[in-house]
Amino acid sequence: MIRFESVTKRYPSGQEALREVTFAIAAGEFVFLTGHSGAGKSTVLKLVSLSERATRGAVLFGERNLAKVSARGIPAIRRQVGQVFQDHRLLMDRTVFDNVALPLVIAAVPRAELEKRVRSALEKVALAARERSRPVELSAGEQQRVGIARAIVAKPPLVIADEPTGNLDPTLAAEIMALFATLTQAGTTVLVASHDLPLVQRMKKRVLVLDHGRLIDDFRPVPPPPAHVAAAIESVRP
Amino acid sequence: MSANRSPEPGATNRRTAARDDGVREPAAHASLRAWLGQHAYGALSSLGRLWQRRAATLLTVAVMGLALALPLLLHLALRNLERYGGSIQEARELSVFVAPGSDAKAIGKLETAIAADAAVESVRLRSPDEGLAELEALPGFAEAVALLEENPLPTVLLVAPRAGLASDAMAALAGRLGALPGADLVLYDLEWRERMTRALALAARLAAIVAAMLALGALLVVGNTIRLDVQGRAEEIAIVQQLGGSDGFVRRPFLYAGCWYGLFASLAALVGCAVALAALAGPVASLAESYGSTLGLVGLDLETVGATLLAGLVLGWLGAWIACGRHLARGRPA
Repeated sequence: MIRFESVTKRYPSGQEALREVTFAIAAGEFVFLTGHSGAGKSTVLKLVSLSERATRGAVLFGERNLAKVSARGIPAIRRQVGQVFQDHRLLMDRTVFDNVALPLVIAAVPRAELEKRVRSALEKVALAARERSRPVELSAGEQQRVGIARAIVAKPPLVIADEPTGNLDPTLAAEIMALFATLTQAGTTVLVASHDLPLVQRMKKRVLVLDHGRLIDDFRPVPPPPAHVAAAIESVRP
Repeated sequence: MSANRSPEPGATNRRTAARDDGVREPAAHASLRAWLGQHAYGALSSLGRLWQRRAATLLTVAVMGLALALPLLLHLALRNLERYGGSIQEARELSVFVAPGSDAKAIGKLETAIAADAAVESVRLRSPDEGLAELEALPGFAEAVALLEENPLPTVLLVAPRAGLASDAMAALAGRLGALPGADLVLYDLEWRERMTRALALAARLAAIVAAMLALGALLVVGNTIRLDVQGRAEEIAIVQQLGGSDGFVRRPFLYAGCWYGLFASLAALVGCAVALAALAGPVASLAESYGSTLGLVGLDLETVGATLLAGLVLGWLGAWIACGRHLARGRPA
């Protein structure tokens, strides 16, 4: 789904955010991107959503090299990437429904279809009852769930999230992460940048660790044994 | 090179494919309807936004309306002057006074001779009685005419030259006509007409310059208003761009807002001009009456109304387009 091949990103200020970063994420995978602040997590996400372009190396989305996407082609790419932001970036003067509907409005989805999909997305994040509310009337966790509903409503193949739990207390953060984890069930690829290491570890997912722009670890959790094996182990345990 | 290009067709396929599984459209007409729906939504929502800030909207419309009303008034003034100039086309006519004592036969011969000149369009005879009657009709002349014992007026042949005759050709014609047997005196007022034509041409040019400057002013008014609106909604625009809204999508509500401003401004200009015309109609009519004319004012015709509305729309749209242009580039990677 996503491939980084020796990607280097240098900002105009001269700061090198990524150095020779190479990794691949398969379709339907859930991957955490972690590291200290300034390690390059956000830059990786910005390269994927074409908010920035790589200085060297290739970023491939599907089979497409994003370096070859023209300015006119950027919106089409972004419509295939659901984005969740730390500060959720909702339109405060619109209702929850209108916020979630925005990607579908952009894609010119007919009204009836749009309403169906928005309601279904709101149900997934357990906010079906709040569709007429405005974001300011919601709690921080609920606002972030609206952001997630907006990211998934157009059923993009890839969802990326930059510190989605950065502003939430640990309980809410865990809830939000669990919500992200459910997305892969429908085949969606999920890439979450987070520096909340305890939370990341508890999730038992693949973790890419960045340090000063270099990829220093690609940790894959040992898959839990299948149920019957687990049961067998349990039965022989003294 | 070809390796560089190869992603393009594949990319198009991928986009279509994504559309198929991501955004399902049952038929082409449904997507057309959705597209039309987007436009209707854009038009109405931008109208709603203008309504939400009606005081600011009113101000913009008023300024832009004034900028459109002034050239419109100039245009109407010019058209009325031109028409007035047309009604005094007679000034172009040459008056050939028939020598006193000529009989009907001699007059007929002179008339035929004049009509035969290549530079002459038509000849009209005005008998002394007709001349007297015209004189009597002029305000204040009736009493004077009544005092006359006999008609002192000569027979006059009114000669209309061919259209577009240059001034030296006019003078030559006058010379030829004066030399004809039976002709006494040839009168024509050329300079006055020439000056009138030139003054009108100058006025038309001035009006065009003023109109161009005011149109630019209207463009800037809309552009600036929309630019402020764009800045005020920078956050929303950035979000929409992140969610994959194309430049066209982002621009659309602002273009519609520009069109609305232009439309309302031209309507305001038209109403203003209609009011001005109504206010002027009385004094103009009484002035014309004092000259024995029944000419009223030429008002707004369908063509002028249409052109004004179109000009407002185009200026509003263009101003909005320019205002959006710079901002849109911000959502793209460098």
